[in-house]
Amino acid sequence: MLTTPVADAAETRANATYEAILWAFSRPGMPRRMPHSGEAGVIEALIDRECAVHAADPLLIPPLLQAGARLVEPEAADHVFAGRLTDPALLGRCRAGSALYPDDGATLVIRARFGQGAGVRFVGPGVDGGVKLRIGDLPEGFWRDRARCVRYPAGVDILFLDGEGLIGLPRSTTVEVM
Amino acid sequence: MTLADLARPWAAMSYGFLDASAKRELRRKMIKAVCVPGCQMPYASREVPMARGWGTGGLQVSLTLINPRTRVKVIDQGADDSVNAASIRRFLARVSGAPVTLDTLEADLIQSRHRVPEEILRSDQVLVLQVPNPEPLRPVQPNMSIARQMHADADYGRMWLQLYEQIVRSGRVMQGASYPSMVNGRHVMTPSPIPRWDVPKLHMARHLTILSAGREKRIFAVPPFTRVEPLVFDDVPYRVEDHGGLTCARSGARGVFMNEIPQSDGGSAHEVSDSEWGVKTIRHRDGEAVRMGETWYRDGRFVAPRPGPDPGPRSVRTDADPDPVPGGGAP
Repeated sequence: MLTTPVADAAETRANATYEAILWAFSRPGMPRRMPHSGEAGVIEALIDRECAVHAADPLLIPPLLQAGARLVEPEAADHVFAGRLTDPALLGRCRAGSALYPDDGATLVIRARFGQGAGVRFVGPGVDGGVKLRIGDLPEGFWRDRARCVRYPAGVDILFLDGEGLIGLPRSTTVEVM
Repeated sequence: MTLADLARPWAAMSYGFLDASAKRELRRKMIKAVCVPGCQMPYASREVPMARGWGTGGLQVSLTLINPRTRVKVIDQGADDSVNAASIRRFLARVSGAPVTLDTLEADLIQSRHRVPEEILRSDQVLVLQVPNPEPLRPVQPNMSIARQMHADADYGRMWLQLYEQIVRSGRVMQGASYPSMVNGRHVMTPSPIPRWDVPKLHMARHLTILSAGREKRIFAVPPFTRVEPLVFDDVPYRVEDHGGLTCARSGARGVFMNEIPQSDGGSAHEVSDSEWGVKTIRHRDGEAVRMGETWYRDGRFVAPRPGPDPGPRSVRTDADPDPVPGGGAP
C-alpha cells in the first residue's frame, strides 16, 4: 500500500449527506442539517445505476439520469422523488414491500416546510418518548394516507427536505396528528 | 460530452477502500435496516482484503461511514490490542486517514466483535457489531426460506421451545452469548455473540447500533431508543452473568464483565474483559488524570442510563454534534 487515499469533493459530500440521512432516520422527527440544500446531495449519496426511481418533479429528472438510474412508474420504483408533493395519490402508489421482503419498501423524498402546518407527534423507535413537530406544505390528508400505506414491517420510509434541513420518518414510527 | 466528463479522475484506490457504488448500495440497505429495526436486510457484501468471517461485515459498514474526522475504536472480544482488532484498526486508518483511539469516550465509530464497551455510549457514537451468524432461527429452522417466512409471520414459538428445553434439561437457560432478543416488539434478532451481560445495553440506548454479517451478507440495526427485549418466560427472569463479586487480578476493577483465566492449580483468576476499562482503572489507581465515563453496570447491576442530556461533555470535538435547523423541532 503506497499512500492513504484522499477523499475527493464528491466523496466528502456524499459521506456527510449520508451521515445526516442515517442520523435523521435513526432519530425520527429530529431535524438535521445536510451540507448542501435540496435533493442533489441525496441523489449523489444513494442513487446509481442499480436504482429504479420515479421523479414527480421534472426538474429532478436530469440529476437522476446523470446518476444512471432508470426512470419508472412509482409502483416499480425503489426511490421516489416527489419534489413538492402535489399529487395526494402518489403515496398510495409507492411500493411498500411485504412482511416477507420489507426491504422492497420504497424511500420517498418529499420537499416540505418545517415549523409550519399541522402539528404531529412521532412515537416509535429512535424517539425518546415522543417528539412534537410541524411539517407543512403537504397535501390534505397526507398523514392519513401515510398511516394507510404502512403495514409494519411493510411500508414506505419518508425523508422530508426543507432546504438543507432533513427529517426522517421511517415506517416504524407512529404519527399522531395533534 | 467527452469520456472525461463521465469518468472520475484516476486514483490508485478509492477513499475508504470500497468503491462508490459499493458504498451507495450499503447506504441504501443501512437505511432499510434502521427503518425496520432488527429485521435482516440482504446486501451485496463486497470483497475486502480480509477473510470472510473475520469481521468483513462490520468492516464494510465502517468503511462506508468513515471520513477523515471520524475517530475509530476497534474491539475484539473486549480487547483493543488483539491481533484482529489491531489489524482492522490499522487498515481503517490506512485507507481513510481517520484518527484512531482506544478510549471509548473519544471514539465516534466503534467497530466491535462480541462486546459492547462498559462505558455508556452517547448519541453521537455509532456501534458497529460484527456478526458471524445473523439468523436467530437457524438452530430451530435450518432452511432459510422457511425462516424468512417465520420472520414475516412473527412465528417465534420455537425460539421459546428451545429455551424451555434448555430449562428442562439443565435447570436454567444455557444460551450464553447471542441471546435471542425481540426488537421493537416485532423481529427477533441475534445480537451477535455478545454475552448476556451486554444485551441490556442495546435496550433504549442513546446510540445507533448496526450489526453486519459479511459472510452471510445480511445487515440489521438497532436505532436509539428502541426496545430490545431478551426472550424470557414470565416466571424465569433474564439473568446476566453474575460478575458483580469478581475482581480483576491485574487492575483491581470490580463490577464489570470479566474473562476467566484458568490457572495451573485448577483454580481461575479473572481479568476485566473491556481492556481499556482495565487500563483506565490502573492509571487511575496510579494517580494519573484519566476520564472514566459512566458505566452501564454498577457493582455488577445494570443501571438504566439517566434521562436527560448525554453524560459528560465531549472533550475531542463538537462539530459532529447535532445542529438543529432553525424553524424545525417543537411547534
